[in-house]
Amino acid sequence: MKNLTVTVVSIFLVVMAILPHFLDARWQTVAVTFLIFSVVALSQDIVLGKAGMFNMGQAMFFGMGAYITAILNYHYDWPILATIPVAIIVPVLFGILLAAPIVHLRGDYLLVVTIGFNIVFVQVLINNLGGVTGGPNGIFGIDPMRLLGFELSSQLAIYYFAFIVLLLTLGIMFNLEKSKVGRALHYLREDPLAAESIGINTRLYKIFAFGLGAGLAGLAGTVFATQYSAVSPEAFEFIQSVLFFSIVLVGGSSIPGVILGVFVMFVVPEIFREFATWRFFVFGFAMIIMMILRPRGIWPATFGKIPKFLIKDTKHGA
Amino acid sequence: MAHSELILTNVTKRFGGLTAVDALSMTVAPGQIYGVIGPNGAGKTTVFNCITGIYKSEEGSVNWRGEEIRGLTPYQIVDRGIVRTFQTIRLFSQMSVAENVMSGRHIKSSQRWWHGICPTPGSRRDEKEHWTKVGELLEFFNLEEFAATPTASLPYGHQRRVEMARALAVDPTLLILDEPAAGLNDRETAELVETIFSIREKGITVLLIEHDMELVMKVTDYLTVINFGKKIAEGTPEEVQKNPLVIEAYLGSEDDDDE
Amino acid sequence: METFLQQLANGLTIGSMFALVALGYTMVYGVMRLINFAHGDMVAAAAFVGLTVYTQVMGQATSLFAVVAIFLLTAGLMACVGVILERVAYRPLRTAPRLSAVVSALGASLVIQNGIMLIWGPRMRIFPELVPQQFWNFGGVVISLIQVLILVISLVLMVALYLFIEKTRMGAAIRASSIDQDAARLMGINVNSIIALIFIIGSSLGAIGGLFIGLYYRGITFNMGWQYGLYAFIAAILGGIGNIPGAMLGGMLLGLFSAFISGYVSSTWADAFTFMLLIFILIVRPTGLLGERVAEKV
Repeated sequence: MKNLTVTVVSIFLVVMAILPHFLDARWQTVAVTFLIFSVVALSQDIVLGKAGMFNMGQAMFFGMGAYITAILNYHYDWPILATIPVAIIVPVLFGILLAAPIVHLRGDYLLVVTIGFNIVFVQVLINNLGGVTGGPNGIFGIDPMRLLGFELSSQLAIYYFAFIVLLLTLGIMFNLEKSKVGRALHYLREDPLAAESIGINTRLYKIFAFGLGAGLAGLAGTVFATQYSAVSPEAFEFIQSVLFFSIVLVGGSSIPGVILGVFVMFVVPEIFREFATWRFFVFGFAMIIMMILRPRGIWPATFGKIPKFLIKDTKHGA
Repeated sequence: MAHSELILTNVTKRFGGLTAVDALSMTVAPGQIYGVIGPNGAGKTTVFNCITGIYKSEEGSVNWRGEEIRGLTPYQIVDRGIVRTFQTIRLFSQMSVAENVMSGRHIKSSQRWWHGICPTPGSRRDEKEHWTKVGELLEFFNLEEFAATPTASLPYGHQRRVEMARALAVDPTLLILDEPAAGLNDRETAELVETIFSIREKGITVLLIEHDMELVMKVTDYLTVINFGKKIAEGTPEEVQKNPLVIEAYLGSEDDDDE
Repeated sequence: METFLQQLANGLTIGSMFALVALGYTMVYGVMRLINFAHGDMVAAAAFVGLTVYTQVMGQATSLFAVVAIFLLTAGLMACVGVILERVAYRPLRTAPRLSAVVSALGASLVIQNGIMLIWGPRMRIFPELVPQQFWNFGGVVISLIQVLILVISLVLMVALYLFIEKTRMGAAIRASSIDQDAARLMGINVNSIIALIFIIGSSLGAIGGLFIGLYYRGITFNMGWQYGLYAFIAAILGGIGNIPGAMLGGMLLGLFSAFISGYVSSTWADAFTFMLLIFILIVRPTGLLGERVAEKV
C-alpha cells in the first residue's frame, strides 16, 4: 500500500510537471487552482487527518495568507516575494494563538469554534477593519511576482510557482511520516490519553499541527492572490472550509485520496460547466453515497512507515 | 529515606461525595516488586491515576525520589521515569505493533519539532537508533513477527505484551502495571511472571495491581491491601495472607460484588 | 430604556425562533451524538414549502383556518422529509466512524440547500403576510402581533415538549436512548423508532421555526439555512448540547444577546460578537450552561 502511494504520487508529479504545456489558457487557470486547493486540502489533512482535530476553519488561514500578500503589495508596495514569509508567519501565529485555548475541546465543540473563527474572519474582511481589506469588494490590482528581473505574470509561471509550493507541501508531509512529530500526531489522534501516558505532550503537538497547517494554507493564499491579482472575502467563506473538510474525509485523508478529492470537487465541475447550478446538489449526494459505501474514504490512509528491517514475516504485513 | 523511590503520604481523592482514596500512604523501595491489592471498587486504579497524573489528588503528597510530583501532567511524570499500562488495554489500535512500541521512544528521541518539516542527518540517525531499540523490545517480548500488524487485529494476550513493550520502551525507572494478568490464560500468566522478573532484573521497580492472588503471592516482595480507599494492611505476601482484616475484606467482597 | 425594552421584545422573538430550531439539533445530538448539519436547511426548506402550500394548496387564503392548515401541513411534510433524511443519510452510518456521519450530514445539507435553489430559484422570495400587520405602541416600544404570536406559540410548544419528554413513557424512552443506546435496546426500547420520532419532532418544530422566520423577516433565501442553523446550533451548545431545557435557555439567551448587540453596538458585527460569546463560554464552561460534566473513565 505504501509503495503504491509513492508510485502513484510520483507518476502524478511527473504528469503535473509537464501538463501545462498541453493545456490552453482556460485549463491552465483551472490547473493552477487545482494545485493551490490541493495545498490547502493537504494542510487541512495535517490538522484533521493526521492529528484528528475537527477543524472547519481552514479557509481562514488560506485567506489570511492571500490578504497579507494583497495588503502588503497593494498598500505598502512590497514585492510579492517579500510578502511570502509574512504570509506564512502571520497565519502560523494566528493558528497557534487561536488553537491554544481551544485544542482541549471535544471534537464537535472544536468544530463549531473553528467555524466561528472563519465567520468572524470574513466579517472582519467585509467590514474593512483598519481600512486595508477593501470591504466586500476586496483588493484588485496586485502586482505580478518578480524574480531576478523577470516578471512572472503568465499562467505558466504561476503554475510552476504553485507546483513548487505543492512539492514543498508533499515533501513536508512525507517527512512528517518519518519523524517523531508526525507519529506523535497519529498517536494523539488514536488515543489522546494513552499518548499522554506514554510521555507525549498532546497539547503541544495539537497546537503544532494547527500552526503547520495554517502556515501551508497561508502560503497557498499568496499563490492564490498572485493568480487572480485580486482577493475578495467570498473566496474564504466558511463554505470553502466545509469543502476542504469534506475533501479530506471523502478522500480518506491520504495524500492520493485528498488530491483526488480536490480534483473531483474543483476540476470536474469545470468539465460540466453547463450543469454548474447542479454542482453542489450532486456533490451532496456523492458525499452521502461515498460515506455509506466507503466510510473511511476513497483511499484510506495507512499509518506511518516502519523500517523494513523490522518486518520479519511479510504474511502479517499490513 | 534516600533509598525510597516513591512515597505516598495521605493521598486523598474524592469524586463529588465519594472518597475513592482515603488518606493512603505507602512507600516503594528501589528494585521492589510492589503489589496493591483489594476488592473491586476499592480504589486501586484511582491510586495509580493519582500517581501518573491522570487525576490530581485533593490532599496529600506524591513524592518521587525527593520531588513532589502531585499536580504534574501525565507526560511530565513519564519524563521522570514513571510509566504505566492500563487495565483496559489502550493501544493505538489502527497502528502497527512496531509503531505502538515506538511511541514509548518518544521522550527519548532527540528530534525537535522542525525535524518533522525538514530532516537532518542527525534526526535520521536518531530515527534509526530508536527503531533499532524497538526491534530489541519486540524480540524481548517475542513480537517480532507482528511488527507490521495493526494491534487491533492481535489476540488479547499479545496486546497485553505490546502494551508492556510500549511502556518499557520509555526506559522507565518505575513501571506501573494495572492488572497485567486480566484476560490472560494460564500459560500466558506464567509467561507474564517470567517477564515481570526479567524486568526487575533490568533494574526497574515494578508497582502492580492484580486480582489474581496466586500471581500476586508469587511475584511481589511487598503488598498494600486497600478497601474502600483505605489501607487495611501491608506487609510481605506471607504476612498479608494471615491478616484477618484482609481475609474478611476478600470474603465479604465475594458476596457483594462478584466479578 | 425604550431601546432596552424594544430590544428585549425583539430578542425574545428571535430567541424563541432560535430555541425551536435548536431543539432539533440538541435532540438529534442527544441520541445520535451527531451534528445534523442538514437541520438548518430543513428549516429554510420549511419556509419555502410553506410558501408553496399557501399559493398552491390554500389558494392564498389567510383565514385562521388556512393559516393553521399551512402550519400543520408544512410541519407534517417536513417531518416526513426528516424521517427520510435519517433513513437515507444517517442510519447506514450509525456504526461507521463518527466523522463519516458528519460528512454525510454536510452532504445532506448541500443536497437540501441546493434542492431548494433548483426548485424555487436562487433569488430571494417574499413570504406571504399570513398574520395581519397589527402593532401596539407602549410609550415608544412597538410590539407586533407576529412577535406576540411567535413568542406565545413557541413557549406553548416548548412546554408541551418538555412535558412530553419528562412525563410520558415515550419521553422516558427518548431520555433512556440518549443516555445509553445499547442499554436502551436491551431494555426493549426500539431505538430505530425513537430516532425516527426524534426526527419527526425536531423537523416539525424546526419547520414551525422556519415559518416564523418567514413571517418575521419576510425575505427568504435558499441559503439562509446555514445562517439560522448556525445560530440555533450555537444556542444548543450554549445551553449544553443534548440537553432539551438547555436548548430553550440557550436560544432565548442568544436571541437577547444578538438583539442587544445590534441595538447597542452594531449590527454589522453581530456575528462576530455571537461567536466570541460562544468561544468564551466554551473556554469557561466547556459543556455549556446546563450540560453535565462528564469525567472520562480510565
